[in-house]
Amino acid sequence: MTRALMSSALMTSAPVTSAPVIKGTRRAWRWLALALALTLLALPGLLPMPASAHETSLGVLELREVRQGAYMGRWTMEPAFGTARIDLRLPRQCFVQLPQVLCGKQGLVGPITVGNLGANMSAVMIRILPMTGEPHSYTLTSANPVATVMAAGAPTLGTWLDLAPTYINYGIDHILLGADHLLFVLGLIWIVRGGWRLAKTITAFTIGHSLALAAAAFGLIGVAERPLNACIALSIVFVAVEMVKDLRGQPGLTARYPWAVAGAFGLVHGIGFASALANLGLERNLLPPALLFFNIGVEIGQLGFVLLVLALIAAHRRLGAVLPAWGAVLPAYAIGTVSSFWFLGRLLRMLAAT
Amino acid sequence: MTPPTMTARPWLLALVLLLAPGLAEAHIIAARLGDFYTGALHPLTDPQDIVLWLALALFAGSLGPGRARWLVLLMPLGLLAGFLLQVTLGIGQIGALGAAGLMVGLGLLLASGLATGLAAGNRLFGGAVLLVTATSGASNAAGMAPEANATLFAAGLASAGYVVITLLLAAIVALRWPSTDTSGTAGWRAIVLRVCGSWIAAIGLMIGGFALKSLAGV
Repeated sequence: MTRALMSSALMTSAPVTSAPVIKGTRRAWRWLALALALTLLALPGLLPMPASAHETSLGVLELREVRQGAYMGRWTMEPAFGTARIDLRLPRQCFVQLPQVLCGKQGLVGPITVGNLGANMSAVMIRILPMTGEPHSYTLTSANPVATVMAAGAPTLGTWLDLAPTYINYGIDHILLGADHLLFVLGLIWIVRGGWRLAKTITAFTIGHSLALAAAAFGLIGVAERPLNACIALSIVFVAVEMVKDLRGQPGLTARYPWAVAGAFGLVHGIGFASALANLGLERNLLPPALLFFNIGVEIGQLGFVLLVLALIAAHRRLGAVLPAWGAVLPAYAIGTVSSFWFLGRLLRMLAAT
Repeated sequence: MTPPTMTARPWLLALVLLLAPGLAEAHIIAARLGDFYTGALHPLTDPQDIVLWLALALFAGSLGPGRARWLVLLMPLGLLAGFLLQVTLGIGQIGALGAAGLMVGLGLLLASGLATGLAAGNRLFGGAVLLVTATSGASNAAGMAPEANATLFAAGLASAGYVVITLLLAAIVALRWPSTDTSGTAGWRAIVLRVCGSWIAAIGLMIGGFALKSLAGV
């Protein structure tokens, strides 16, 4: 029922051929290759190129606690363009007016970041010297833009709850900015087409990426980032090919065992999520709550995306806005082209780094 | 069989959620989520865009699903065309007075119920779509920060146009043309549309009045 509704909503009847599966798949790959080549030819003209010159600059900020919760800040190494333009962001309980930083009873605990890293500044090192206990240094770069400052001693429930908004928001941001993860989920929705099967498939993807995220965050598994990103792109290419096969009336692996495919690729995507969490420079005793809240954020973002796509499908159905027969395969080719472009780009970067 | 009021309820809820003021935080989003989401949320920070998009959706929806569905495609294309006109040639903006005029025009068409009966309905629909989408695209392009990535901003704007208009249209079509209307409730639905039209015309008059006042330097 749902399958039929989705089919009528988003596409007219798919051309079902009697050609063998292999022939159909080859044709799909040929079209994907052609679309990819066209995109590669067109992209240099469409995309703005990044500035070729990049000024490097390093700053070192020392924050010394002078009384409980009050710090005096001093740039021991000033960045080349001065300190006035640096967008320093400390935890929300802190009032910053350098050289003075007032954090109240909670102290300087929570995420610290510099908002404009990467534009003219490569890195900032922040040294925190508490009245008691060891000093800590945190290096912020555009690749690792956020560090989390821990209170002295074991984290309390209050510390954990303070972290919740930060890491839930970070998880939401990560999934909303992760076009590759969203495109994979879109491909799954397209093939599975709603109903309980979709609920089970998305749950399998969630379980897969949650397990992998936890395992990678605790150091049980480790995969280099570049090959992993290439694999994530390849998983979307796989889903795109499955979409084309499905349209040709040749249900692929995803159409037959969607939960298995979603779970397996969820493991790959989960390791990718973990690399984002690793970039935050978390201390180990903060990892469990951060992981939990980050995962909740990812799930909120993913659920929001799934609901939006389902709402749009229902809206198209209500309006009778359907793709013509010749355009039924366009979404699959669009997803395939973009993901192939990502895959090749990531592969080239991986090969260039070796 | 599901009563028509039951089918309209989820769409009304979607409409309310779409118009929730909590969404109007594009500039916070800019710092957090980049230029795509800035472009997507930018029109929702401007009451003129919100009212004009709603007016256009109501107008298209009142013409029936047959014409309304074209807006799903034309909305993002029109926004992109207006965006390009503004970015490349610096034209396309009509200002507050022009936007107010469009609101009054569309609002009166809805309030009078004339839109569905006009012989030149298609041309009127085409003209309204072209004017609203292109001018909205241009005004959003003009509001883009100089350092923003224009490609991502435009993609976000077009995506938002597509999503908002598709959901709005579906809600309005569900309200106006229930698939099984046996309860004789079609009357109040038409009244709802007319009332919305009169409000839109009133808002247009108010914005126009303010625009004239500022032009006159009063």
